[in-house]
Amino acid sequence: MNRRTFLKTAGVGSVSVAAGCTSQPEKTIYALVQAPDDTVTGKALWYASTCRECPAGCGVLARSREGRVVKVEGNPLHPINQGRLCMRGQAALQAIYHPERLDTPQLKENGEWRALSWPAAEGLLQEKTRAAAGAGAGRVRVLTEVIGESLTALFGEALDQWQSPPPLVFEPFAYEALKTANRMAFGVDGLVSYHLDQADLLVCLGADFLETWLSPVEYARQFKAMHALQANRKGFFAHIAPCQSLTAANADLWLACHPASEGAVALGLIRKALESGRGQSLPAPLRVSLTTASAPYTPEKVAHLADIPADAFDRLAARLLAAKAPLVLGTATAGSGAADVAANLAANLLNRVLDPELTRIDFAHRHRVETAAPRAEVLDFFKRLSPDTTDVLLLNNVNPVFALPGAGIAEGLGQPGLFVVSTSNFMDETTLLADLVLPVRMPLEGWDEYGGKRALISGLQPAMGSLTAAPGLGDVILRAAFGADPPFPDYQGYLQARLSAQGIVDGERQWVEFLQRGGRFDLPAAPARAPLPAEVPIAFEPVPVAAASLVLVAAPSIRFFDGRGANRPWLCEIPDPLTKVAWQTPLLAHPDTLASHALRHADVVAVRSAHGTLEAPVYETVGVRPGVLAMAIGQGHSAYGRYAQDEGVNPLGLLPPEADAVSGGPVFAAGDVLLTPTGRQMPLAHTDGSRIQHGRKIALTTPLQAAAHDDAHPPKAGLTMADFPLTLPLPEGYDPKRDAYPPHDHADYRWSMVVDLDRCIGCGACSAACYAENNIGVVGAQRILEGREMAWLRIERYLDPQDERKVIFLPMMCQHCDNAPCEAVCPVYAPHHSKEGLNNQIYNRCIGTRFCSQNCPYKVRRFNWFTWQWPRPLNLQLNPDVTARSKGVMEKCSFCIQRIKAAHGTAKNENRGIRDGEIQPACLQTCPTGALSFGNLMDSQSRVRQMVMDRRAYQVMGYLNTKPAVIYLRKVVQEI
Amino acid sequence: MPAERYVMGLFSDENQAAAVAADLPKTPWKLQRVHSPIPSQRLAHALKVKKSKVGWFTLAGGIIGFFAGFLLAIFTAMRWELMVSGKPVVSLVPFFIVGFEFTILFAVFGNVIGLITQTNLPDFGDFKHYDARCSGTHFGILATCAEDGQAELEAYFRQQGGEVRVFEA
Amino acid sequence: MSELTYATIDQTILQTLEKPRPGYWLIVAVLAGGILLGAACWLYQIFVGIGVGGQNNPVAWGIYLVNFVFWVGIAHSGTLISAILHLFRAGWRNPIARAAETMTVFAVLTAGLFPFVHLGRVWAVYYMLPYPNQRTLWPNFQSPLMFDVVAISTYLTVSSLFWYTGMLPDLATVRDRATGLRKKIFTLISLGWTGKHEQWRHYTRGYLFFAALATPLVISVHSVVSWDFALGVVPGWHTTIFAPYFVAGAIHSGLAMVLTLMIPLRRIFNYEKIITVAVLENVAKTIILTGMIVGFAYATEFFIAWYSFNTIEIEVFRYRMFGDYRVGFWIMVVCNTLIPLLFFSKKIRTSIGWLFGLSLLINVGMWFERFVIIITSVARDFIPHAWGLYAPTAIEFGIMIGSFCLFFFLFLLFVKHLPSVSMAEIKETLHEGAPHAG
Repeated sequence: MNRRTFLKTAGVGSVSVAAGCTSQPEKTIYALVQAPDDTVTGKALWYASTCRECPAGCGVLARSREGRVVKVEGNPLHPINQGRLCMRGQAALQAIYHPERLDTPQLKENGEWRALSWPAAEGLLQEKTRAAAGAGAGRVRVLTEVIGESLTALFGEALDQWQSPPPLVFEPFAYEALKTANRMAFGVDGLVSYHLDQADLLVCLGADFLETWLSPVEYARQFKAMHALQANRKGFFAHIAPCQSLTAANADLWLACHPASEGAVALGLIRKALESGRGQSLPAPLRVSLTTASAPYTPEKVAHLADIPADAFDRLAARLLAAKAPLVLGTATAGSGAADVAANLAANLLNRVLDPELTRIDFAHRHRVETAAPRAEVLDFFKRLSPDTTDVLLLNNVNPVFALPGAGIAEGLGQPGLFVVSTSNFMDETTLLADLVLPVRMPLEGWDEYGGKRALISGLQPAMGSLTAAPGLGDVILRAAFGADPPFPDYQGYLQARLSAQGIVDGERQWVEFLQRGGRFDLPAAPARAPLPAEVPIAFEPVPVAAASLVLVAAPSIRFFDGRGANRPWLCEIPDPLTKVAWQTPLLAHPDTLASHALRHADVVAVRSAHGTLEAPVYETVGVRPGVLAMAIGQGHSAYGRYAQDEGVNPLGLLPPEADAVSGGPVFAAGDVLLTPTGRQMPLAHTDGSRIQHGRKIALTTPLQAAAHDDAHPPKAGLTMADFPLTLPLPEGYDPKRDAYPPHDHADYRWSMVVDLDRCIGCGACSAACYAENNIGVVGAQRILEGREMAWLRIERYLDPQDERKVIFLPMMCQHCDNAPCEAVCPVYAPHHSKEGLNNQIYNRCIGTRFCSQNCPYKVRRFNWFTWQWPRPLNLQLNPDVTARSKGVMEKCSFCIQRIKAAHGTAKNENRGIRDGEIQPACLQTCPTGALSFGNLMDSQSRVRQMVMDRRAYQVMGYLNTKPAVIYLRKVVQEI
Repeated sequence: MPAERYVMGLFSDENQAAAVAADLPKTPWKLQRVHSPIPSQRLAHALKVKKSKVGWFTLAGGIIGFFAGFLLAIFTAMRWELMVSGKPVVSLVPFFIVGFEFTILFAVFGNVIGLITQTNLPDFGDFKHYDARCSGTHFGILATCAEDGQAELEAYFRQQGGEVRVFEA
Repeated sequence: MSELTYATIDQTILQTLEKPRPGYWLIVAVLAGGILLGAACWLYQIFVGIGVGGQNNPVAWGIYLVNFVFWVGIAHSGTLISAILHLFRAGWRNPIARAAETMTVFAVLTAGLFPFVHLGRVWAVYYMLPYPNQRTLWPNFQSPLMFDVVAISTYLTVSSLFWYTGMLPDLATVRDRATGLRKKIFTLISLGWTGKHEQWRHYTRGYLFFAALATPLVISVHSVVSWDFALGVVPGWHTTIFAPYFVAGAIHSGLAMVLTLMIPLRRIFNYEKIITVAVLENVAKTIILTGMIVGFAYATEFFIAWYSFNTIEIEVFRYRMFGDYRVGFWIMVVCNTLIPLLFFSKKIRTSIGWLFGLSLLINVGMWFERFVIIITSVARDFIPHAWGLYAPTAIEFGIMIGSFCLFFFLFLLFVKHLPSVSMAEIKETLHEGAPHAG
């Protein structure tokens, strides 16, 4: 455990015990006059916990100030995310402090909600369940999201008490097709994990592993481990899918195939592989059946079925067969039925052909989301749901009414005589239909355990004083099931006992260490996988869609996942990585598609499928193939609080409600979609002024060959945009021939950031972390339309004008120039150059002339046009170390100066200098791919100083001679 | 001299007035002053007025202003020595503009002070022997004479073509 | 003007100070209403935030600064006419000098309001004043905005003093013709001026120095205003031509405004004999000159942008011509450079109607010149991802209307209460030895 982490987590849950477990909500949680013994007012405490925003189960460290969590960061010790988080993880706080979060139980009496005390509510639950149990077997049902083993076990025991079957686990994205394929190809009924980092070539049939697929943060890290430039080499990544997801945008090759034709492509590749003599070691029957199954898929047939260029396919095949360590991934999180099973099966088999030992597939650490029931089961559950069979239905943090429109869920829940209990903290579509709402503690407030993968277990502990009097879900269940004399006083006790019984945590000392580290990650792995099946039933009917009819594809969003993120202001405010549209849900369509329907960008269209209809603005992009429409899942809520309600639209309503027969999974695509113009236009709240760079020196790329092979003679330096040399913000960066003024020195440190564009995947986690760390205002769609968004760090997305399918992302923040144009123009010194090279901005001094912003070539300064609001209790999330700005002042990225100051303090106390890498600005800290580096340029040994020596190093608009301290490394591109 | 008389000759013509003004010193009467509605070169010539010293005030003001401007800018920059845009804390080029504007401002102040002190305005003392026409249509030449010389003086003015106004002592 | 005499001059000009008709007060009241409207808009903005205007990122400067530059521009020809032409002994400037100077003073006052309106935190505006304080915090004299503070306040002070000094003899004239309260007031403000030769002796000298100082000042002030932009890095702003270009533009707009004001004035006050067509003609001729200078400046900007081979410069100027704000650009070109050429025709520059109409158009054109310069440049600067558009809101227009009302309100009060033409200077220019009525 590295030192920083130890310091961070030294404050073992004892505050949680002191402050966290009071039954009374603390009205003034931030004014801690008498601090608990281990709290020092003004000093942050860090609690290790686990992120529950999606089933991946990343480890987090919650930063607690005076009993309230103000920031979450990845837990560096956690094997899944290794200290990084995605934007959804960062935004978890906004659920806890959400203004519409329920603070007391609610009981529905003849259509009216009535607040209940907790004892009364629990009493009611007890009475109902008891009655149900008395009435017969199986009359209490539980539908839950994916939960940890302990809570599952507790549910099991409780349901035993009520003589009812174990809980049904519902996840909108349950990877049925992938599971089916794994069962068929690997004999594993679950979700294996992958070692992308060990591959040198990645072929992906749509899996959006940078956004939502299985464990995005983990796979993003692994992806860059294989795909970033190292030792003059980088892995190759080909993506085959009808729509360009963020993952596809990061691919070296994106083949926009027909929907549902991915399987055909994979089979074509299998055919090529077998032809080239691969797969000899495969069991004979399998090899035979493979040969026969893949025989029809000649390159021509594949090219025809998938409608992709034949030569591109051939080159891909050749590259694949030449690869030393190829890895093939399956289809997207939101699959599309039967074709999906085919594709995933083909992918798995291709893996077996290319690498019979499947060395890059990990059967021991399977993803926990595999415990989710197939969609068919869930639909069946609701079909059978009736007062005759069920009395009490407990819904744990699921929103089927939103996730399964058209499946008659609402009717099912509405049945008289059925007592529906929801444990959600928000009045979402489903909770609205419940009879009793028990807003139990949220993950960061209570005790629990969750293992995102097998062979590891990750702890949750109260990281803050609770805002409500709510007990944890576990406590509620314990009391409800075992009444007056529960086997354990509370769920924490249950948890601790269970873990020690399993030998995971033995005794108090290990328990403390468990909490400190955030879990046990070294559990004995499951026995080696069962032998791979020798025979695989292969029955492919890849059904290519007739080009004539339109297909709508619904894709989970990196921002909202399955929709649970839609009520977090940050996630709405931070624009979609590819469209750069915030708050709204546009319908992505190809220019040809629009032309054929006489539509223009931002026209509002009525989209009609066999199952539903909706209206949305169209977004013109070549990121989808002609004939395909794409829309992000997550918005379009009819309830769920002010930030979610009536923002955007929900494409799920257009999809077939029934599950696919083969895999029992949902179908996230709808065929024969009709577009009818409404004649209306809807201005899109996008944050990009132009999609292309107009040939300017902003986000640069370099071919792999150039990056790899040293060209002896460096380009001649000149004064134009093209040939202006790299001028470091150091005395050596000055040259009398270029500079009118003499160089200036800095005191010991010259802070600088290096951004490796080859590592940036444009996910926007940095931006979210920046919002969280620096109290940045959320302005809403209207203000974004007016051009008033406040992001200090924005991801600029540029398309290649030659081929708009080529995308490059560039994080843009204050460049902390040595000759900052913003400084001299201010009449009151509000911005000025600090002795450590920072471009300071003094809010109290600013009078709002806005000249600095006008004169900033990078337009990274943000003005407070109004006093932005944090509806209570969102204001409790504000970082006490950073001023909250009011109307009329300019603000911008400060390189997280509060963290720099803190490091200065620590270093001074320890009577040393600040170590390289000791300071981690919020953006850098959370970046899943490590694209950002921060440090002292004056230290010749520092990491940043080494990196700026890279031949890829350049400065955005360097020829303005502002000498930016943010140095970018060109993205390395490759073709096949 | 006992009981002096103030007599004003009012001329509607600038030339006549100038001639009288030039001629009067040769007579026994004492020329007090000449009121005119316009700044008249001829009169000034006839009266052989010396060059005004206002300019010296203006110059002094200008010089003070120039240094005041520069010193203000330099002094204030030295207080915190904040560096902006990589320029030296004391960068004289931009400060020149401050120096220049202050030069003009103070020069004008000097000029005004000069005017006030030289013409010693405001001064409401002259109205005793003043004719309103002098600010509109006429050139008024005010002379004094002994009680007995008054008639001749009046005659002199009339003969020169002017009207006469006698002020009671 | 042979038929003019001292007496008729006094009579013509003094009768303008007689009791105004009710219509006058009506107009004054309407203008006062406009001022209140603007004030209300400003108050609303102060309480809610600058966001009630249309400014945004990247276009953080809107029509507040457009109006600022516009009014400062108007302010210029006043001093030009009274000071520079005085130095050149151009007699034809005398009839319009007074009104032009007044225009200057009021225009600077109006312009001076806009930096305040523009500020995000106007309540902290005193940070810009170099006042001693215990934290020894001072303004940054390297900032073009501080140049502005110094230059504009100097200009306001100097032009007011110049205006008052020039008016002194006339105030005495009014005093001598007035009765009752008015006499008392004018006795006071004319400081006991009697026009005795001792006073004239210093006065003429002092006035000469005033003119000599005002001339470089007026040029420096608009140069400084232009440097608010030229000292920035923004393409379309960062160019060496700006100082002379802005000065010429300022005089251009100022002369146009002089015509706009003078033509109704001479009509209403029967100044035809004093402000003769010849005078207006001379103004028109000068406008041809300034118009050509401005046109040449436009052309030079475009040529340099193209010749620089700098893609960013080129894009900004292409955008000006054909981009979202092209209408404004073409209004600017036509009104400021082509329209003035019509004055080459004697018929047009001697026709009151034409003069008035065209002067209005030039005013419009000059307003749009500032709009085009300020808005289009930042809307399209270095980072394409950050490009954005700006459109003024009702609040901004409300404040703009208020500013115009304020200017005309002040001017209207002036013409009925102070001599709007300098009597002394007109008399000075009368033909020597002409027979005078006694």
